[in-house]
Amino acid sequence: MSILTVKQLTKQFGGLIANNNIDMDVQKGSITAVIGPNGAGKTTLFNMVTGVYQPTSGDILLNGESLVGLKPHQVAQKGISRTFQNIRLFRAMTVLENVMVGMHTHLRSGLFHMILSTPLMRKEEKEAKQEAYRLLQYVGLESLYNEEAKNLPYGAQRKLEIARALATKPKVLLLDEPAAGMNPKETAELTKLIYDMREQLQLTIILIEHDMKLVMEISEHIIVLDHGEKIAEGTPDDIRNNEKVIEAYLGKGATTAS
Amino acid sequence: MKKWLNVLEKNKRLQATVIGMYIATTFISLYLAQKSVVAFLLLLSSLLFLYFTSFSNRVKWVIGILVLSVLLPLAASQGEAYQSYMEVATLVGIYIAMALGLNIVVGLAGLLDLGFVAFFAIGAYTYGIFATAQANNFMPFGHYPLSGESFWIFLIIGCIVAAIFGVLLGIPVLRVKGDYLAIVTLGFGEIIRIIFNNLDKPVNITNGAMGLASVQPPKLFGIEFMYPSQFYYVVLVILLLTIFIVRRLEYSKIGRAWKAVRENEIAAQAMGIPLVRTKLMAFAVGASFSGMMGVVFAAKQTFVDPTSFTLLESITILVMVILGGMGSVPGVILGAALVTILNLQVLTELTNWLNQLSLSGVVHIPDALSPAKMQRFIFGLILIVFALYRPQGLLPAKNPRFDEKELKSGVTNVADGKEGAKGVYFNG
Amino acid sequence: MIEHVLQTLPQVIIDGLALGAVYAIVALGYTMVYGILELINFAHGEIFMTGAFVGTALLLSFSAFGWLSSMPMLLALLLVLVATSIVTGLLGMGIERIAYRPLRNAPKLITLITAIGISFLLQDFVRFITELKKGNYILTGPSLFTGQVNISASSIWSGFHDASVKSSFFIVLVTAVVMMVTLDFFVNKTKWGMAMRAVAQDRETAALMSVNVNKVIALTFFIGSALGGATGVLFAIQYGTIDPYIGFILGLKAFTAAVLGGIGNIRGAMFGGIVLGLLEMFAAANLPIVSDGILGAEYKDVFAFSILIIVLIFKPEGLFGKVSVEKV
Repeated sequence: MSILTVKQLTKQFGGLIANNNIDMDVQKGSITAVIGPNGAGKTTLFNMVTGVYQPTSGDILLNGESLVGLKPHQVAQKGISRTFQNIRLFRAMTVLENVMVGMHTHLRSGLFHMILSTPLMRKEEKEAKQEAYRLLQYVGLESLYNEEAKNLPYGAQRKLEIARALATKPKVLLLDEPAAGMNPKETAELTKLIYDMREQLQLTIILIEHDMKLVMEISEHIIVLDHGEKIAEGTPDDIRNNEKVIEAYLGKGATTAS
Repeated sequence: MKKWLNVLEKNKRLQATVIGMYIATTFISLYLAQKSVVAFLLLLSSLLFLYFTSFSNRVKWVIGILVLSVLLPLAASQGEAYQSYMEVATLVGIYIAMALGLNIVVGLAGLLDLGFVAFFAIGAYTYGIFATAQANNFMPFGHYPLSGESFWIFLIIGCIVAAIFGVLLGIPVLRVKGDYLAIVTLGFGEIIRIIFNNLDKPVNITNGAMGLASVQPPKLFGIEFMYPSQFYYVVLVILLLTIFIVRRLEYSKIGRAWKAVRENEIAAQAMGIPLVRTKLMAFAVGASFSGMMGVVFAAKQTFVDPTSFTLLESITILVMVILGGMGSVPGVILGAALVTILNLQVLTELTNWLNQLSLSGVVHIPDALSPAKMQRFIFGLILIVFALYRPQGLLPAKNPRFDEKELKSGVTNVADGKEGAKGVYFNG
Repeated sequence: MIEHVLQTLPQVIIDGLALGAVYAIVALGYTMVYGILELINFAHGEIFMTGAFVGTALLLSFSAFGWLSSMPMLLALLLVLVATSIVTGLLGMGIERIAYRPLRNAPKLITLITAIGISFLLQDFVRFITELKKGNYILTGPSLFTGQVNISASSIWSGFHDASVKSSFFIVLVTAVVMMVTLDFFVNKTKWGMAMRAVAQDRETAALMSVNVNKVIALTFFIGSALGGATGVLFAIQYGTIDPYIGFILGLKAFTAAVLGGIGNIRGAMFGGIVLGLLEMFAAANLPIVSDGILGAEYKDVFAFSILIIVLIFKPEGLFGKVSVEKV
């Protein structure tokens, strides 16, 4: 069953057409990859789905409900969360706090509760702290909970972004180049994490990736963009042998993939 | 020296002894040598040392309040300088509260507001208009001035009115890109001042440049708080309340939201934080502190006029926040205290001292360079030096440190009915 | 009322052009620096003010040495303009080098704070130097170009009143136009100008194209500050008396002009300056009449700020600017 649908989605910046009539249908619980050469419009697509850019035309449906016109925080509240290509952590805050920020929408206390420190607020805060810690355990960062985010090594920062995104309790998780700059061991850990998240947390996952080995291994469905257009879609096998894709770009990793 | 500090760090008893002796000594010195500004400042600075001790927070607060509410006034009360000491202390309190307000806007939420004094003015005029005969000019009902007993209600009213203006200002302004925010808020600050300066026609609301005189001092159960020594306690209580509220907000959902917005707006939005509403909240809360202190200020000075609300004031408060440490409550308290004391006591003392020196022919500092006039220069220098070399301020903001034990005793959410893997509860 | 508006129109236009020329050139300084560093150089208004003081000081010393009477006024003015430009240009460059360059990678907030600090520092520095020498921080320059010229607009149409201008007005206008045309030529037709535009568009790529970014930035500051300082001299000549605080308000308004024209756009800044000057003079002349004396002349400042706020809310890219999208 389809959870996220993108219909004829177009984004134009002045004379540049970044996304041209993209159609995409994502099944609930699936792992989908969006690939394509640099500048193909992948992140633009993500940005439209998450409300950062408003589409020039077309529609985005989450469980049948249109997301067009919603502000980014509203899209997040609807259940779409993401990580970023260039890591966007809250650098001066601690690791635990970063994850707690993700819980913002699920904490109910208002200004008065906060000032008066009512039992409701204290209970919520306690639960939030513990949940945040559990999320850190989930990604393997629990020992660093008091560390400032900016001091984390690169791989840990990427994991933290994921933990933070999970804190929003999303239905759909968008990962923008999650394996960028990772070594094989870290990539293997990431692969396991993505599978785990899909299985245990009933998430639908969409990722933008350049690491072809990871893409071929993990995705059930692949969509290929080039110069703003969708040029192919299908299973990893379909894509591997697709002439248009090979023409546009298919990195070396494909030949060494399982 | 370092070794000695190390010993001190580990030994609470020793700390208690040292601090106790320090407070006792400065207390006695001030008690006996009334005119000694140095003794006064030293007694006050015992609070700073107290901050660095390793006692529990509760103990620190108790000692601090003891010093501020009993020891300081008692020591200062012997002699004619009593009122002027309390005056300084009162002003320090007022500025600390305002700086805490600006700290929320600049330090926590990262919004450079250069027109902060406007809310101070709004609070001051709100009380001033109704606590003098001024309101008779345009209010169709009621007899003004209202008695000093209304002061307490006006604290809340001032808060609310300022917060409303904060939101009104914020709504258009927060849509503009961060760089412009500073200039626009600066413009607004000036606009408010000009308006207050000219609002004596067609209806005389603010009495324009002449200001409002004979503002009613606060009254409680028949006691009028006229003297600085009495007013001091009013300010002390309000200040403690302010610190309390700020602390609560800082370590709550909204405090984290403010910091998130400051650190990375786009990521904050992606985590479900409504950008404009969060920023407006910061503006409103910051403004309300400022407005409340405006009411206090009007009641204390018993005179309100537009010259107290200039850009220099806004920048002064900004200097307090930068000097002390953006986003750091203890830092801002220190910064506000330092700058106010610098302005009120140090500069004038220095000027007097230099005057005396030049009278006795030792050194001749021309009037143009007199320290009391060099405010802008000094502030500018502080801003530049700190921005370049110590942007985190004197007492940098500290992140909340969590206790591992607290964090681990989690249990799955029974309400969900599902137990996620590794204890993570989840709505699918 | 319309009568009054029309009657005063010639004078308003003259005064507006004079003021607008000043705004235009100061706005250039803001827009050039913003274009290249995305920084609002708060201290720029103070550079203008310093120029006014340096120029006045030079003129006063010329007059003290008796040179003013022995050489043509225009020559004296030219010398003072050049000297002041160099001084303020170097000052601007120095500020960039010491205070802005180390903070290039710091959060914007910190740089803005430094700029405010420099602004205050300069204000007080000029104040106490002036006070030391003259006993007061308000400075009056020697009277130059004070001959009044009467423009008989009433001969064009009887609804107009005649406008009266000091001859300094022509000097200011001509100099301003010369400066603007020269800058325009420099930016669009020379190699260094092209380098400036490149760095403003994309610093990294420009660096890759072997443009010395630091030198270009320094040059931008030099030119902007030199022009600003020269305008300060013109201002001093036009209005006679100056104090250390003129930079602040004027800087704010010039910035408004830059935003109005489209921040980063040089021609836009010139246009914005002239428009703002005209609007402000118009408001100053007519607001009291229109509002029956309720809105005094002080409200012209409110007027300028309101324009800024309105532009930033409804069309933040200004009249000639382009909408910029942040890369996520």
